[in-house]
Amino acid sequence: MSSGNANLDLAGFDLDSSVQLRDFIFAQFAEDLGRMTSSTSTATPLKHAFEARVVDVKSPKSDINALILDYLTMEGYPKAAAKFSKEANLRPQQDGPLITARQEIKDAILNGNIEVAITALNELEPEILDKDPKLHFSLLRLQLVELIRQCNGGDITPALDFATKKLAPRAAMNQDFLKDLEKTMALLIFPHDNLAPELGALLRSDLRQTTATKVNEAILERQARRREAAIRQLVRMRAWAETSARSKKKDLPDRIELGLFGEDGDYHENGHEPMITT
Amino acid sequence: MARIQSPPILSQIRVARSYSEQTVALRALKDEVIGHVQRKEKWIENGILESLVKTLQNPPVHHIPPRDHAVEVTPLSEKDVVRLQSLQLLASFANGGPSFLGPLHAVGAIPTILSHISPPENPPQVILTALRALSNIADATRLAPPGQDDITVLSNQLFTHQHISSLWRIMIQNSHDMVIQEQKCVVASLISRLCKGPEHQNMLAEHGIIDALARMLATIVVSRGEVVPGAEIIGRSDGLAEYIPEPAPLGISLALVLEAISTVIADSRFRACALLSSPFIMAVFPSADFSPPAKETKAAWSVLEMSGMSSHRAKIPGAMDYLLPIVPITQHRSLSSQFPHFPPLGFSPSRESLVLGRQSSMPKFTGWDPNRLDSASLSGDAEANDPESPLVPWLINLVRSTDGLERVMAASVLASLFKAGFTNPEREAALGQLVVPLLCLLIAEHDNEITPAALNSAFIEQETALDWAILERTPEVLARLVADSEYLQQAAHDCGVMKVVYKLLRESYEPMMVQSAPRPWSPSPDHDAEIREGLPTCRIGSPGQLPIYAHKVKMRESTLKLIAGMVTFKDEYRKELADQEMVPCIVESLSASPQKPRSAKDQPKADKMAEDTDRPIKDSQYGVNPDSVIIAACHVIRILGRSVSNLRTALEDHGVAMPIFRLLRHPVAEVQISACGAVCNLVTSSSPMREPLLAAGVLKVLCEHAHSLNPGLRLNSMWALKSLVNAVENNLKKQALEELESGWLVQLICDDTEDEALHTRMRLERRNPNDEDEDMDTETMDDGSRPTLSPSSHPGSQFMFVANPREPLRLQRAKRKVATLREAELNPTRKARNDDLAIQEQGLNFIRNLIGLPSMPAQMAEMVDYIFNELGQDRLFEILASKLKVKVLHAYGRKFSANNSGVAAVPDPRVLYPQAKVIEAVVYVLVHIAASIPQHRQLVIAQTELLKLLGGHLNSLDMDVRRALCHLSTNLAYQEDDADAHACQQRAMELRKLGFLAKLEGLEQSDVDLDVRERAKAAVWQLKSTP
Repeated sequence: MSSGNANLDLAGFDLDSSVQLRDFIFAQFAEDLGRMTSSTSTATPLKHAFEARVVDVKSPKSDINALILDYLTMEGYPKAAAKFSKEANLRPQQDGPLITARQEIKDAILNGNIEVAITALNELEPEILDKDPKLHFSLLRLQLVELIRQCNGGDITPALDFATKKLAPRAAMNQDFLKDLEKTMALLIFPHDNLAPELGALLRSDLRQTTATKVNEAILERQARRREAAIRQLVRMRAWAETSARSKKKDLPDRIELGLFGEDGDYHENGHEPMITT
Repeated sequence: MARIQSPPILSQIRVARSYSEQTVALRALKDEVIGHVQRKEKWIENGILESLVKTLQNPPVHHIPPRDHAVEVTPLSEKDVVRLQSLQLLASFANGGPSFLGPLHAVGAIPTILSHISPPENPPQVILTALRALSNIADATRLAPPGQDDITVLSNQLFTHQHISSLWRIMIQNSHDMVIQEQKCVVASLISRLCKGPEHQNMLAEHGIIDALARMLATIVVSRGEVVPGAEIIGRSDGLAEYIPEPAPLGISLALVLEAISTVIADSRFRACALLSSPFIMAVFPSADFSPPAKETKAAWSVLEMSGMSSHRAKIPGAMDYLLPIVPITQHRSLSSQFPHFPPLGFSPSRESLVLGRQSSMPKFTGWDPNRLDSASLSGDAEANDPESPLVPWLINLVRSTDGLERVMAASVLASLFKAGFTNPEREAALGQLVVPLLCLLIAEHDNEITPAALNSAFIEQETALDWAILERTPEVLARLVADSEYLQQAAHDCGVMKVVYKLLRESYEPMMVQSAPRPWSPSPDHDAEIREGLPTCRIGSPGQLPIYAHKVKMRESTLKLIAGMVTFKDEYRKELADQEMVPCIVESLSASPQKPRSAKDQPKADKMAEDTDRPIKDSQYGVNPDSVIIAACHVIRILGRSVSNLRTALEDHGVAMPIFRLLRHPVAEVQISACGAVCNLVTSSSPMREPLLAAGVLKVLCEHAHSLNPGLRLNSMWALKSLVNAVENNLKKQALEELESGWLVQLICDDTEDEALHTRMRLERRNPNDEDEDMDTETMDDGSRPTLSPSSHPGSQFMFVANPREPLRLQRAKRKVATLREAELNPTRKARNDDLAIQEQGLNFIRNLIGLPSMPAQMAEMVDYIFNELGQDRLFEILASKLKVKVLHAYGRKFSANNSGVAAVPDPRVLYPQAKVIEAVVYVLVHIAASIPQHRQLVIAQTELLKLLGGHLNSLDMDVRRALCHLSTNLAYQEDDADAHACQQRAMELRKLGFLAKLEGLEQSDVDLDVRERAKAAVWQLKSTP
C-alpha cells in the first residue's frame, strides 16, 4: 500500500470536532482495508464468539489519540497536528516548523518545482541526497520530465543539457538508472498525445506523487527512524492476521467489521461506547 | 542552481562582506555539490576545503551556557549559520568517499570539526552536523584503500580527554529535542566504530562514558515499561530512586546504545562491572523478590525444581525471570573451572591467548590463575556472590523479543556479562537453549544472495547493508559467547551454524571481478584523464575499496573468530573443520595478499615455496587481509594444532608451516605474538612441521624474540622454544641454549624484568617535577602506567568509581567493587608481575625440557651436566630455591597519596609470595634432574635448604604442586642399580629426616585428589622399600 492514495488535504481542515477528523481518517483506511480483505458476504445474524471477545478488548483512548497524532505528524499536516495535540493534550511528536518544512518540500515536488524541493531538502537534511543516490536520481529524473513537459514541442536544449550534465554521469554507474534515463529521453522523441502506456505514465501526476512520498519517507526515516505512520502498519497487520487466520481455517465470522464507525458495527447495540469521545 | 562550477561562489565564501552573504554562497555551494561526486572533486581541486576550514576557524562565539543538562534549541545566530553550513559542506565532502580523505586530512578538517562538538559552547545543530561529519569520515575510512584504512588515526584524535568530555556532555543532555536525540545516536555509533582495543575502552570507562550509556539504556528500559516492578519503592528505601530516569524520547535507537555499550565493556570484568554498577542500571533493575500474579508460573518452576531439573538458585526468581521460559538443566556441568581463566584479573591479551594455546600433550595445565595472586587485595571478589543483576534476564528476553541488529547487540552485551562471570552459573543453560539458537538463526536468515548491483557499486541498498552488518557482527558475538563453554559450543553446533559459517568463509574467498566502483560518465572527458596533482589539500586520492570488499574481509575475520571459538574443546569439531576443506581458506588468511585457496593437492612443492616468500601486497581479486584477519587465522591454526591428527594431516598437507614462519618476522608485534602462539603447537614433537621449520631457521627467530622488549612476545617465544626442545637431539638442545644465551635465560627466570622496568619508569616520573596534575594525567594514561585514578577536572569524575560517603550505600558498595576490579585489571604493577611470572614459568619449563626424558638416560645425564656447566650448578639451585621463597621487592614509596579515594595505592614495600605455577615448574626441573643418573640425584638431595623449602610446599593448596612433589620424592628414592643401594638409602633417610615421608603418608590418606593420592602412594612405597 503506498501512501499516495491516502493523500488527504487536511492542512486547512477545520478541527472543530475530532470525531469528524477521526471518521475522515478511518474512512481512508476502511477503504484500503476493504481492498485487502476478500470477504464481502453479509453479516451473520448470530453473534460470533470472536465478536464477543472483540467487545471485551478496550482500547485506551490515549492510544487512539496518539495514533491519530502520529498519522497527522508523519503524513505532514502541521496545523492539524498542532491543534490535535493541544486538544488531546499530547506532546507534539515533532516541532511544527519541521513538519512544515517537510510539507513544503512535498508540495514543491507535487507542483513540479523540483529545483526548489532539492534546495529545501538540502537545507533541511543535507545528508539525504548524498547518501541515497537512488532518491537523488529519481528527483533529477522527475526534473527532467518537468523540463521536457515545459519544452513541449519547442526548444529541447534545456532538457538535453540537463540530461547530459546531471543524469548521464549517474547512468553510467547503474543499469537501472540507464534504463530509466533512456525511457525518459524517449519523451523527447515521441509526441506526447500518443505515447506507449509505459512512457505515458511518466507524464502523469503519479510520478510526482510517488517521488514526493519517497522523499517524505526518506526525511522521516532520518528524523524519526520510521518511514510511515504507525497506523499503516496496524492496518497491514490486521489484514495479515485476518488472512492468515482464514487460511488456517480458524473459527471467524464471515465478515469482520472494522468497527471504526459507530453506526456500522455492533458496538452500539452492546452499549459499547465509541472509541473516541471528545 | 549554478550550472557550472563558478569561481564567484568561491570568492564570495572567501571574502564575504557579511555573514548573510557568506551564507548565501555556502547554500549555493551545497546545492551544487550534494550528491554530485564529480563536482565535489572539481571543487576540492579548486581548494574549497581550505576556505571551509578557514570559515570554521574563526573563534567561536561563546554562548551563555544554558541551564545544566537541559538544552533548548534556539534560533542560530548569523555566525552560527555560517558555521553550520560550512560543517554541512565538510560532511558532504566526506560523503564523497575515501578519495577525499587525503585532502580532508591535509587541511586539518578533523581538528576543526572536533572543535565544534562540545556543548554548551556550540548550538545543538552545529554539534550534530560536526558529529555527522566525523561519522562520514569514519565511514569513508572504512573503505579507504588497504594501508590507509587505519581507523585509529581518527579515534586517537577523538578519544582525548577534552573530546571524550564533550561526548560525555552530549550524552547526558536532558532534552526531548530531536536534534539532541540524534546527537546521542551519532555519538553512540561513533563509539562503536572508533573504539578499538583496551586503551580506548578504559579511557572511555574512566571518563564516565559507560555510565552515560547506561543512563541512555535505562531511559529505554523505562520507555519500554520494563523496569523491575517495585523498583521505585526499593529505590526510595535505598536512595536510588532519583536515578530512575525519564522515559527515552522518541528516536533513540536501542541497537546503537547496546552496540556502544558492548564495544566499551567487551573483554573486561572491570568494565562489565562498571555497567552493572551504574546507578541507573541498579535503579531500574534492582534485585527483588517477585510473586507472579499467575500462580501457574510459579507452579511450573516448582515442578522443575522438584524433578531436579532446576537449581537451588531458581527458588527466588525475580520478575525478569518470569519473562523467560523455564529452561530445564539436564546435565551436570561444572562451570567453576572456566571462569578463573578470564583475563581481566590481570592478563594482557597475549597471556590469555597463550593459555588457549596450551598443548593437549602437556600435563593438564589450567592456565595462570591470578586468583591465587595477592588474594588479599582482591577482596572485591569476596562479594562475588552478589545476586545476578536482572539486566541479564532482561537482555535474554530482549534477544528473544527483538530482531536484527537489536538482537545481535543484546546478545553481545550478554556475552560480555557472561564471560565476565556476572551471570548465574545456571544461565549457561538458558544461553544455550534460548540465545545461541537465535543467533545461529540470525546468521542463516541474513545470509542472502548478494545482488549483482551490490557487487560493483559504491552504494549499497539499505536491506543489503543491514544483512551485511548482521552477518559481520553475529559470528563474532557468538564466538565470544561460546569460546569458554563446551556446552554452548555444542548448542551452536547442534544448530548447524558451522555449515553456514564454512559457507560464508568460503564465499569470502570467491574472486571479485570488479576492483573499484564504476566512474561516473563525464560530458567533458578530458577531466578524467588529468593526472591528479597539486597541493595535498587539493589532490584527490584513489577511490578506495568497494563496500563488498570491505564486507568480505570483515566476514573473514568474523568467521575465523567463530571457528576458533567453536573448536577450543572438542577434537571432533576440529576434525570436521579439516574434513570440510576449510584449511585452505585459513591458510590464505595468513597472508596479507591472499590468492585462490588451494587444496592439499595443489600445494606448491617445497622448492617453489621460496618464490612464494614475498608476495607483494597488491590489490588482487581476493582483496587484502588486514592484520586483524591474519591474527584471527593464527588463532585458528594454533587451536587446530592442539590436535595431533590435524598436525599430521590437514595442517601439514596445506603447508601451514611456511606462512606462519613468515609471520614471525611480521612488522607488527601483535601479529608476531599470534604467530608465535601458533608456532608453539607446530614445533611439538608430534608435528611433522618441526623439521621444515627448523630448517627454515625457526630457532634463531624464536631466540631473538625471547630477547624482545615486548613481554607478550617474550612469553610466547619462550613457550614455543620450550616445545621445540622437547624430545630432540642433544645437539639441537645445546644449540638452542647457546642461541638463547644462558645468561639471558638466567635473567628471564630470575629477574622481575617487567616489574623492574615499571619501577624505573615510575621513579623517572617521580623525578620529573613538572609532572603534576593534568600533564601527568594525560601523559601516563596513554601507556596505562598510572596505578590509581585521581579524580580530575572532568565533569564526569563523580562517576569514576570512587565511592562518595554521601551516596546511597548500595551505590557505594558497587563502586568499591568496580574500583577493586579496576585495580586488579589496570594496575600496571600487577600486570608486570603477571607477565614476569608467566615468563619465568616458561623459562623453567624450558630447562625441564632441555633435560629431557628418562627414556634416554645417557642423553639426559649429558644435558644435566651441560646445563650445570652453562648456568652454574650452584647458581641454578640458588635460583630454584629463590623461587620458593618470599621475595621483597624494591620498597618504593607511594606515588599517589591516598586521597580518600578508596582505591588502594601501591603497597610498600612489596612482598611477593611464591606462586604455585612457578613452584610447580621448579619442582619439575628437579624431578627431571633426579630422573637422571644417581650422581645427579645425590646433587639434588644435597640441597638441604632447597628440600626444606620444598617440604613446606607439600601442604600447598595447589594440587599440581603436591603431585609434582610426590614425583620428586619417588625419583629421589629410586634405586638405579646395586651400586646405588647405599646412596639410595641415604637419600631416603634424608627425605624422612626432612619430614617428607610423614607428609606423603598424609597425602596418601586424605588428599582430595585421587591422582595425588595415587602418586603419594607410589612415593611412600618407594621410600619405604628402601630399607
